[in-house]
Amino acid sequence: MNTPTQNLTVEQALAQANAHWNAGQADQAERLCQQVLAMWPGQSDALHLMGLMAHAYGNLDLAIDHIRGACQAPRAPAIYLSNLAEMCRQAGQLAEAEQAGRRAVAMDSTLVAGWNNLGIVLQEAGKLEESLTCLERVVALQPDYAEAHNNLGNTLKRLGRLDQARTQYERALALVPSYAEALSNLSHLLNDLGLPDEALAHARRAIDANPRLSDACINAAAVEVARDRYEDALRWIDSLLISVPMHVGGLGVRATILRRLGRLDEAAADARRAVAAAPENGETQNILGEVLQAQNRTDEALAAFDRAAQLPGFGREKALINRGVLLMEQGDRAGAKTAFEQVLAQFPRSAAAWFNIADLQRFEPGDPAIPAMEALLAPGGVQVQSDRTALQFAIGKAWMDVGDAERAFTYLDAGNREKRATFAYDAGAIDQWMSDIIAAFPAELLARPRAATAGSDLAVFVLGMPRSGTTLIEQILASHPAIAGAGELSTLQRLVQQGGGYPAIARQLTAETEAALGQQYLDAIRPMAGNHRRLVDKMPSNFLFAGLIHRILPEARIVHVRRDPVDTCLSCYTKLFSREQLFSYDQVELARFYRSYERLMAHWRAVLPADRFLELRYEDVVADIEPEARRLIAFCGLDWNPACVDFHATARTIRTASVNQVRRPLYSSSIGRWRDYAEHLGPLLETLGIDPAEVPDAPAAARAKRAGKASAKRAEKPVAAH
Amino acid sequence: MTDTKALEGQAQALLAAGRGAEVEAMLRPLLAGGSGPVALWALLAQSYRVQGRVAEARPIQEMLVDALPGHLPTRFDLSETLLLLGDFERGWREYSYRYSLAHTTRIERKVQLPRWDGRPMPGQTLLIHDEQGYGDTFQFLRMVAWAKQRSQAQVVLEINHEMASIARRMPGFDAVTLRGELPPPFHAHCEMMSLPMVMGLKLGDLPGDPMPYITALPDRRAAWRARLAQYSGLKVACLWAGRPTHLNDANRSMSLAALAPLGQAGITFFSIQKGPTEGDALRPPPGMNLVSLSSEIRDFEDTAAILSEVDLLISIDSSPVHLAGALGRPAWVMLPLLPDWRWLQGRDDSPWYPSVRLFRQTEWGRWDQVIARVAAALADLKVAPRALCGKATG
Repeated sequence: MNTPTQNLTVEQALAQANAHWNAGQADQAERLCQQVLAMWPGQSDALHLMGLMAHAYGNLDLAIDHIRGACQAPRAPAIYLSNLAEMCRQAGQLAEAEQAGRRAVAMDSTLVAGWNNLGIVLQEAGKLEESLTCLERVVALQPDYAEAHNNLGNTLKRLGRLDQARTQYERALALVPSYAEALSNLSHLLNDLGLPDEALAHARRAIDANPRLSDACINAAAVEVARDRYEDALRWIDSLLISVPMHVGGLGVRATILRRLGRLDEAAADARRAVAAAPENGETQNILGEVLQAQNRTDEALAAFDRAAQLPGFGREKALINRGVLLMEQGDRAGAKTAFEQVLAQFPRSAAAWFNIADLQRFEPGDPAIPAMEALLAPGGVQVQSDRTALQFAIGKAWMDVGDAERAFTYLDAGNREKRATFAYDAGAIDQWMSDIIAAFPAELLARPRAATAGSDLAVFVLGMPRSGTTLIEQILASHPAIAGAGELSTLQRLVQQGGGYPAIARQLTAETEAALGQQYLDAIRPMAGNHRRLVDKMPSNFLFAGLIHRILPEARIVHVRRDPVDTCLSCYTKLFSREQLFSYDQVELARFYRSYERLMAHWRAVLPADRFLELRYEDVVADIEPEARRLIAFCGLDWNPACVDFHATARTIRTASVNQVRRPLYSSSIGRWRDYAEHLGPLLETLGIDPAEVPDAPAAARAKRAGKASAKRAEKPVAAH
Repeated sequence: MTDTKALEGQAQALLAAGRGAEVEAMLRPLLAGGSGPVALWALLAQSYRVQGRVAEARPIQEMLVDALPGHLPTRFDLSETLLLLGDFERGWREYSYRYSLAHTTRIERKVQLPRWDGRPMPGQTLLIHDEQGYGDTFQFLRMVAWAKQRSQAQVVLEINHEMASIARRMPGFDAVTLRGELPPPFHAHCEMMSLPMVMGLKLGDLPGDPMPYITALPDRRAAWRARLAQYSGLKVACLWAGRPTHLNDANRSMSLAALAPLGQAGITFFSIQKGPTEGDALRPPPGMNLVSLSSEIRDFEDTAAILSEVDLLISIDSSPVHLAGALGRPAWVMLPLLPDWRWLQGRDDSPWYPSVRLFRQTEWGRWDQVIARVAAALADLKVAPRALCGKATG
């Protein structure tokens, strides 16, 4: 090995050190730097080179220390500050990054790298207009700089200017066709535009170009999450985490996927690891908050959202929205509304804020919110496809409130069409599946000796179509001191999947497997029950499993909530669900699903014993709550308690699409509501086999309500007096 | 979870002992459903490889790469299979992840200038630098002149100290710099083993021109000719063990005693073994006429001269084989059932080296069968020694 000679000058030693490092000879370069630093402690250029080398070997903290030292020198050049800015950005230290970046361009206003680095720091700090100015300057100074076009694309994307962002990514790719970051970013953008297949293809190209690019895996996972393909999403994330186990973004996305899959403990573990690794990352704090919320750890969730909302970066808007949604679930309608209005003050184009406000408030004619939302769908407005769809539903809801069915359905039809275009759904296959379920659970199977599952009378299932009133029934039940409400649990669905799928699982039912499955379900829910004698699982789609429930949990009670078919379907159709209800976005498919559901319920009615299977009509409950509530409580084997008819005072968290309705006292305006919209429900009515002309008119009370609505002076009063 | 870990450990131990069939039998039922832990799939692929059923490993490894595109060790595993099967195009591409393994990330050379993209760069300087193994460098030195032709650049060859003097005599580049020294300024670089990927090397391009591409020093040849003159009969250089730190050494190396059946009248063996076992040649097995040259070999120039003066090299897979091949000298290579990718599959010649003949294991660990075949070939050779030279120029 050549030992550097002692008689080199500092300049010569540094020149050699740089040349060695250029040639990838790190040891020689380091030795020369150390020589210089021994002669001249704190020598700026030597520290800078040491910093660059530490950075190349992945020692980011060490690199920042060195570069910081290099920037202490009186003559430290602008490029060193620019490098410090970029490294601080990579370490998530945005304040120092911004300061260094600003100093760099102040020292040398022609430094392209300086403007570029400052531009992406500002982008990450959410100072988007300023970021745009920096990056536009970079592109002007150096038009063939692919990275700058990519960075500019990212800022434009965050500004919601997706078409311009796309142009910039495409320009970057024209300069460097295999530019992995630009491919990955374009993938993310295509997903926002509602083009998942193209998005995935670009993510794959990005990974081919650079398999080390974590963001491409994360974007691929995001595509699958957006279309509810959680297992595929998990595969992408695991493929990242198997190589980089502590990848903060990857852990965050996996936490979200696991949360959606109902695997909350695992989700929490991932979210906490991500937060521990990057406590200053607002997105990560926000993800942790979402998991805590799902775990009903409301105060902790709120604290996490508050932390996320304080931190700079991408998480802020989402965190503020989540905070509002959480308040909404807590029944704090005023607090929630204020929270969403605060979001709009900071992010006037936030579709999520408008969507939730629309759910919270009743619109009056001339409400300025309606044109404000409509403007967001106009050219130059919101471009993210899922945001556009959410706005269509929000505006549709607003026009329904106002009583303008024509306009309401213009938006609702568009929103449903857009949503329907994002996934594949085979109505015929679902019809067949329901038939298979009926065949798999014949009367003989249900009549076999009961499984020996101990303690199964803890479980009460409230099920039916979505939007049929299951939330109301759960609320009545949970107002009883001996009953706890657990919300919509995916526990049973998960057990069925693990047990071989549905209805295939029916073939594997023996005395042993039934007891084992029942026990697993009870083990999972018991912690939620506390001292209560009953625990309500109100996942509506458990109607698929009613027969199975009776086999594995012979003492469990099953409450089927029924509601007028057209009202139910109308309510589904006007709703953009947060979880998949794939049958709900096309009137014909919705009606077909409803008919299959009726067929299946008729089967369960025929084969389930009356002391375990109760049916309630939503309309009866609304018309006269107490007799129905008494029937319900008696069915659950408990003594009557008057709190059950005062359910809207119950302080607890509700997390379904009905969240803002149950908080109000009873809601008879939703009975026979569909008649006002009959002319827009042609395909639905036809497929359901209902001729509007032959249906008797609505009860007088409901008619009066609708008339009141038309005059836009609706007083909300409890229908049930006691 | 623990089950998988325990299973992995068990499978790895069996695979190290060449018991691929048992691992296959153990894992296949677990993976019959088409899904399962990634680690187990990788082990199943390895179990096929260990049984010499390399083509069957390929679809599994391709599936794993498709499912885990960012898991670079999996890509490197696939590259070894593809290269072994002669699928050079994708093979070289995946081989570029050789510095992304747990034991290699720290040794990747982080050159701060771009890697050559294969396009002409006239008027600029291209630095080509060798990597780890001597054998690799001997094998891929041939591409330096081709790179010069393609790039039209000034080519600087950076090479290890031990091989520098041999390399300096080669045509096809403009300057040599020694590993660790500061190279002259350059515009682009390329690792020697990345040249195949960058230049799109295909099987049909081999062995390429010129062949041979390395020469021995005339003075050294004269000295060794004189040194070996006293011995009569067929002169065969031999070695039996590779560098013990090589990952696959247990698989490719054997002992001197294992070579004993090669001993026969009319043949003098010369040990050119270097390293911990070179002393074994001082006590040759009975019936083997063996002379140790090890202590007299100072450098690769000596090795090259010896290989140029003996009739044949018989060796396990080690760097002198590549030197012999590059010199165009006859060499017989004894290969394990699962050899290094460069020896390909199912052939007893090497497209890389026309003068090299391959003797492959047909059962895991059974060197005895290989030695028996080499011994028979040696006996034939004594009858018709000219058959050796073939295409090679002596």
